[in-house]
Amino acid sequence: MKKKMSIIMMLALVALLPTALAQEVEVTSLTRLLEGVEGPAYFPVLNSAGDRLLFSTENGALKLYDFTDNVTTVVTRDYVAGNDACFGGDGKVYFVTQQTGEDRLIYRTGQCYDAATAAVTRLTEPHHGTVKAVATTRGGGMKAPGADRSWASITGNGAWTEGNRVHVTVDGKERVFSPVDSWAGYLWASLSPDGQRVAFFAAGKGIVVIDLRGQVVAMLGNYEMPCWYNNDYIVAQHATDDGHQFTSSQLMLLKADGTWSRELSKPASMMMHPTCGGGKIVCTTIDGLLYELHINIYQ
Amino acid sequence: MKKNLFQSIVMALLAVFAVNVASAQQPHVYINPGHGGYDSDDRNMVIYPFHQGDSAGSWESKSNLRKGLALQDILQKKGYKTSISRVTNTTSDDLALSTIVALCNQSGADVFYSIHSNATGTSSRVNFPMVFYRGYTGSPQIPNADVLAADLEPYLYANQTTVWTGNFQIWGDWSFQPSWGTQGYGVLRGNYAVANLSEGSFHDYIPEAYRLLGLQYCWLEGWNISLGADKYFNRLDNYNLGVISGNVRDDRIKRLQENPQPFLVFGDDNLMPIHNATVRLLDQSGNEVQRTMTDTLRNGIYTFKFVAPGTYTVEVSEPSHFSQTATVTVKANASTYQNFYLKRVRDTAPVVVDYSPVWQDGDPAVKCSVPIVLSFNWDMDSATTCGAFQLDPPVEGTFKWEDSYYRLVFTPVDAFDVNTHYTLTLKKTAEHGGGTPMAEDFTMQFYTQPRNHLEELAVFPYEGAPVHFKTPLVELRVDSLLETYNLFQRLRVLDSEGTELAWNKRSIKYNKRGDDYGFVRIPLVGNLEVGQDYRLVLDVDIADTADIHLPAERVINFTAVDAGADKPGMQVVEGFEKKEYYLNCGHAGSATQRPSVELSFVNDRLFGNASMQIDYDFKAYDPNYYFFLSYNPDWGLEDDQWEKPFYPGQTLGLHVCGDMSYTKMTAEFRTNGDWVKIPICTVDFHGWRYVTADLSSLPETGGKLRHIYFERTSSIMGQTGTIKLDNLLRGEASGIDELGFAGVKVHAEGDYVVVSADTWVQGVELIDVNGRTVKAAGGNCLNVADVTRGVYFVRVHINGRTATQKVKL
Repeated sequence: MKKKMSIIMMLALVALLPTALAQEVEVTSLTRLLEGVEGPAYFPVLNSAGDRLLFSTENGALKLYDFTDNVTTVVTRDYVAGNDACFGGDGKVYFVTQQTGEDRLIYRTGQCYDAATAAVTRLTEPHHGTVKAVATTRGGGMKAPGADRSWASITGNGAWTEGNRVHVTVDGKERVFSPVDSWAGYLWASLSPDGQRVAFFAAGKGIVVIDLRGQVVAMLGNYEMPCWYNNDYIVAQHATDDGHQFTSSQLMLLKADGTWSRELSKPASMMMHPTCGGGKIVCTTIDGLLYELHINIYQ
Repeated sequence: MKKNLFQSIVMALLAVFAVNVASAQQPHVYINPGHGGYDSDDRNMVIYPFHQGDSAGSWESKSNLRKGLALQDILQKKGYKTSISRVTNTTSDDLALSTIVALCNQSGADVFYSIHSNATGTSSRVNFPMVFYRGYTGSPQIPNADVLAADLEPYLYANQTTVWTGNFQIWGDWSFQPSWGTQGYGVLRGNYAVANLSEGSFHDYIPEAYRLLGLQYCWLEGWNISLGADKYFNRLDNYNLGVISGNVRDDRIKRLQENPQPFLVFGDDNLMPIHNATVRLLDQSGNEVQRTMTDTLRNGIYTFKFVAPGTYTVEVSEPSHFSQTATVTVKANASTYQNFYLKRVRDTAPVVVDYSPVWQDGDPAVKCSVPIVLSFNWDMDSATTCGAFQLDPPVEGTFKWEDSYYRLVFTPVDAFDVNTHYTLTLKKTAEHGGGTPMAEDFTMQFYTQPRNHLEELAVFPYEGAPVHFKTPLVELRVDSLLETYNLFQRLRVLDSEGTELAWNKRSIKYNKRGDDYGFVRIPLVGNLEVGQDYRLVLDVDIADTADIHLPAERVINFTAVDAGADKPGMQVVEGFEKKEYYLNCGHAGSATQRPSVELSFVNDRLFGNASMQIDYDFKAYDPNYYFFLSYNPDWGLEDDQWEKPFYPGQTLGLHVCGDMSYTKMTAEFRTNGDWVKIPICTVDFHGWRYVTADLSSLPETGGKLRHIYFERTSSIMGQTGTIKLDNLLRGEASGIDELGFAGVKVHAEGDYVVVSADTWVQGVELIDVNGRTVKAAGGNCLNVADVTRGVYFVRVHINGRTATQKVKL
């Protein structure tokens, strides 16, 4: 009952936005995904075409939803595989699983799923420490930051973070930037669709947009999880908390040059973890409900 | 040179290789000191001498950071790899929960500790450690998160520098906060390290808020968390240094209550912590290994860090206390606790430096409620001082120590006797806390006043009273002005289950200076349940402004009724809606003195559209004052019911809303050339009540009702007031009242109601609280086995008359 009420409330809040933001941005549709089919779903990731969606279940298993045939496939039931999984430019899914060793250390393994063959390929042996799935325009791979190890060749263009550094790979050539101070580190780097800019999050500073030379183009404010909606706009999460639990969470639409920002949902909508692709936005909610949004921007 | 260069390069490469190998095997701990900055969500505990918002005061964000930085430093010393989410305490450090989780995941950490302290969020105070992991208790979402918690908590709970009020607790956050569903704590959500959120203690327990201000105390929690990590990774044997910590307190002086509001303390937190005590760590040869001072933050905590295993002597010294030593054994990678309770240096004999009451012959007598207070130059030993206390004549009382045993208060259990000369002798066997006795006996005397208890003048409800159910008024009247501070807490109305009913404190009325007697009058917030029994409890400590209290607790039973219930068989004579009445006011002994009375018609009613309200002022405590309502057919107010005579055996019923004025109400009838006055009631109640008059004294020829008298009594109560009247009834049978016949007894213990009387009983009726006859039978016996249990009235028919009595089946 409580969940039902929260959905009703959320829809009401989102529904108000087209009027409130007239002439600037309009949420033209809001659709619940996989209702009655899937349980709580977290960490959604759209591919660049927006026709396939990765998400994580309550137990951390990784699933793939195909919008075209409306079929959901289990990529792996290994727990935590849904964390930071990504689509490579080759259409494959790159993800990391983890196991606890007898020494209680956590060993992580890079893996790749090919939807065409439904085969999972182990890319790396279990490794203690970070193993990060990295997507590029041509494919994907695994990075183990800090240990000077890279098991899969990274080709094409891509971006990823490690500590307080952002790594930008252009045609296989990697450059590393630290354009703003951030004690705690950088997160959530992504390349713009035209490959000319990188947006990432710097803890304590917010979302930063840089060019391929590492020059800061814009500081977009203290939002999280930036994803490129198109070359000019970024969708991000804006959440507040009391130090223990979330007290609000909403989606924001930010102009990538830092000149403009608008709410896509109200703070009480508890929408989080946005992902963009093919002109659509998908997010989840605090209780794991997936939503697909379409917007019109009038600027 | 070349060879040296080659060797250097090889050594450097080997060093790099060694570091890499070690790095691969290092457990990696991500540390999240919870919160950040000095903002509204950073848990500022306002404790003396700090003000709200003072960054020098107690903040959870600050102590979390100190613990986290200590943990980081200790873990690095122990060979761990660490990451930490913040190293300063500013608003920009207060990272969003999603960010913290993502940073931890990106770091590749093996375990995650989010470091916090707790608060009850209520006025209750507790102190114990808690730790949470994601999932249901016993079913963590991330494997081993429950093991990590179980490995941590015993180390936190072993800390003896604090005072715990209960055992540690380990919870899955979904079980602890079931109303959140599976949302859980934000830093555990999506966190793929083996993650715990540790609430190390409760910062709203004031002594703990002081401790959390201390660097050493926070460091100790960081150390204890590191032991939990060592246990989890099976690395307890990998580190060979230990820690000694403890608390230095006075052995009997109470800690000061410096905060504006008194605060709860438990156990050793009752004792005064000793500031700036020098604490030395000596090896077995007496050589000083480390030296430190206890803090000045009202904690008295000391800590020796990184001590080699072995046996040591800890020596504590402070100028105003005798020094103490203790032998401690330090184990590798473990905490050793040693608390000290120092005895104060007291270098003179104790004497009484002040006392009360101060009295000598010729002085006014002392109130019987006054306590005896003795103040001393030293903190006294309780056993020897109380044992040396001799009062003549003896009085049973209680001793209470104040000001850390500097002041002794003796309070009689009840009160001192009236008009009595008392002598107190404190024998010289009384000792101070250091064991030295007084040099000589101390004596004092006093004489008491002639009054030692509060006298109850009246109370409503009184024992057995039927009380109209709608938001009833409770009133207590006593012989002197009541002390009104929190007085409402000393009167309680309880239902039959013992549940206390709420007062409407906004409508409370108290006595004020100049009143002739003390009183408190309070309505209940809600209605009573008709037919249910209730208790009014008057606490013994209800006292007047001189602290003279009631002689004992009073428990008064009463029953809720509906005074406006139907009265079958009764006819309405007068509805008191809008009719004109003649009002006559007078004084039996004076033609010129009259009370002032006003009539009006108001909405507070039981029937119809209005009731008649009579506002009166008798002007003096003189029983000769009276007023009466008159009905006279000559005025043209024709009404058949008024013109019908009342006869013996009939009932006159009247609905009266009383004011507890003790006004006497009387019905006056015109008979064959005579006037007959018959009592209706004394207004000893508040609220509506249905009262009836026994008309047996009317002549057989009957009498017409002509006047209703209201007469002043000699009581000091009820000089002014307001009485309301509603339907006046006439009936062949009695309404529900409590008037009975002499010798009639009703027994209702089993399945039958049985009536015994001196004469023949014609019949018995069982009537519910709404006045409806539930069951009836001829004779004196009525089977009630099939009647629902509850409160009823039994109407007994004897010789053409009726009597009614309340029974509980």
